[in-house]
Amino acid sequence: MDQRNRIRLVSNSLYNAGLERAQRRDLTGAVQCLKKCLNLNKYHIDARNLLGLIYYEMGEVSEALVQWVISMNFQERDNRADYYLEQVQRKQDRLDQVSQNIKKYNQALFQAQNGSDDLAVLQLTRVVEANPRFVKAHLLLALLYISHEDYTKAGKSLYKVLKIDKNNPKASWYMSIVKTRTGKAEIERRKIKNAFSHRQMQDDDVIIPPSYKENTGWQSVLNIGAGLLLGAAVIFFLVMPASIKRLNNEHTQELLQYNEQINQKNEEIATLNDTIETYKSDTEEAEAQLDMLLNSNDSVLNQYAILVKMLQAYRSDNLTEAVSLYAGFDPSLFTDETVLSIANGIKQDIETNGYQTLEDLAYTMWSAGRMSEALNYYQTCLSIRPANPKVLFNMGMIYRSQGQTDQAIEMFTQIVTQYADSEQAEKAREQLAQLVPDNQQAAVPGQSILNQGQPAEEGQDSSAGTAETGAQTESEPAASAETESQPEEPESQPEEQETQE
Amino acid sequence: MSDEGLNINFEEEIDHFKPSLEVEEIGEAIVKSDLTDMSDIMMEILKRIKE
Repeated sequence: MDQRNRIRLVSNSLYNAGLERAQRRDLTGAVQCLKKCLNLNKYHIDARNLLGLIYYEMGEVSEALVQWVISMNFQERDNRADYYLEQVQRKQDRLDQVSQNIKKYNQALFQAQNGSDDLAVLQLTRVVEANPRFVKAHLLLALLYISHEDYTKAGKSLYKVLKIDKNNPKASWYMSIVKTRTGKAEIERRKIKNAFSHRQMQDDDVIIPPSYKENTGWQSVLNIGAGLLLGAAVIFFLVMPASIKRLNNEHTQELLQYNEQINQKNEEIATLNDTIETYKSDTEEAEAQLDMLLNSNDSVLNQYAILVKMLQAYRSDNLTEAVSLYAGFDPSLFTDETVLSIANGIKQDIETNGYQTLEDLAYTMWSAGRMSEALNYYQTCLSIRPANPKVLFNMGMIYRSQGQTDQAIEMFTQIVTQYADSEQAEKAREQLAQLVPDNQQAAVPGQSILNQGQPAEEGQDSSAGTAETGAQTESEPAASAETESQPEEPESQPEEQETQE
Repeated sequence: MSDEGLNINFEEEIDHFKPSLEVEEIGEAIVKSDLTDMSDIMMEILKRIKE
């Protein structure tokens, strides 16, 4: 009995070891311990159930079912294996799927062992997709990948195996080969070497980063150059745009201020120009007024001067001089009432008593050949007594003698039309007949010879030659005029003329 | 690890893989399973000794 107890103790101890390894996912080691446990005590239900569970975890479903069925044979009640069988064996669909998967694995193994590696790989790929925990399928697939030197895929399969069974010896062996082929083994070796090469740091130790490298001379130059370039780039891309923008803003503000100042100056210039123009116009107007006051016959000063001269002529009883001044005399320009009354008195006196003198003076001038002055005096006579055919005739004759045919014809026509009954009318017709020989209308009263149209102009042109002849002899106007018509002597009594009117 | 350990003889290695137990073979496997344990062996030894 002691031996049996010892065997149970040892088997329990092996079960505990197996359980511990299973908890650490050392499934291969756990299987070994549990098998030894069951070899010592085949009735160890927990060990058998755990062995079946580990088989199931490793994808060996049939092996697991075997262990659970045996376990149930040894202990039908209160057995955890009953639950496991319930989950796997008694669900037909799941069991069929497991069965098909195992058959595929066996088929793939057969193909691999007979040289059909590619088919085996395809089959095993499907198997591990259906049951990712099938350790044997993963190992066979990894072996095939390694034989094809596809170490990456092999490593992936082995990684999955080692996640399920950490200390799987075959997986560890294959993985070491894969790591050697891919160079990862060397990296891990260095890491391990570094991990175990550490020592306690001293106060003088300096931690140098792995990326640190001693710079040589040209490397320093390159680094400095790169730093300068980087600094230049930073200045160019970060500092310069901000500076340029700031300067542009300042310049824009300055330009705006200058533009505003320019606009103000332009407005001032425009205002000053307007003022200058105003002053210029005022100056011109003032100059014109001054000129009119000083130089014009119509100026007030001139009128004052004429008035003074006329008064002086009256004092000296020189009516002729007074009459001669009357031609440019215009009392209406005087504003002072006293002066105006004096001027009007003088004017009235000359118009009453000085008319004949004025006409005589005109005749004298005409006789002296001073045609323009004679015309001026005759014009004054007309302004005093407008209905005066004799004066008109004389003016016509003066015009004719000066070659001013148009004015002469106008004068004669005016006599013929307006004063047809006067004694100068017949003479005027004769003059018109001479000046316009083809014009029969000249004798017709009431019609102006200037309104006769083209024939009159032709006659006028023909008379122009005569006028030109007269003009050529302007140096001797009186003689020339006398050859054509003697000047009408002024009447001795102006009253007779008024009666005729 | 030696260089010899880093090389795999594929033919030899693949022969080490055994077919997995199929579901249809479970019953036969149970029957054929050797369930002899240490107690059975001891009882057999004691039995032979008595004989």
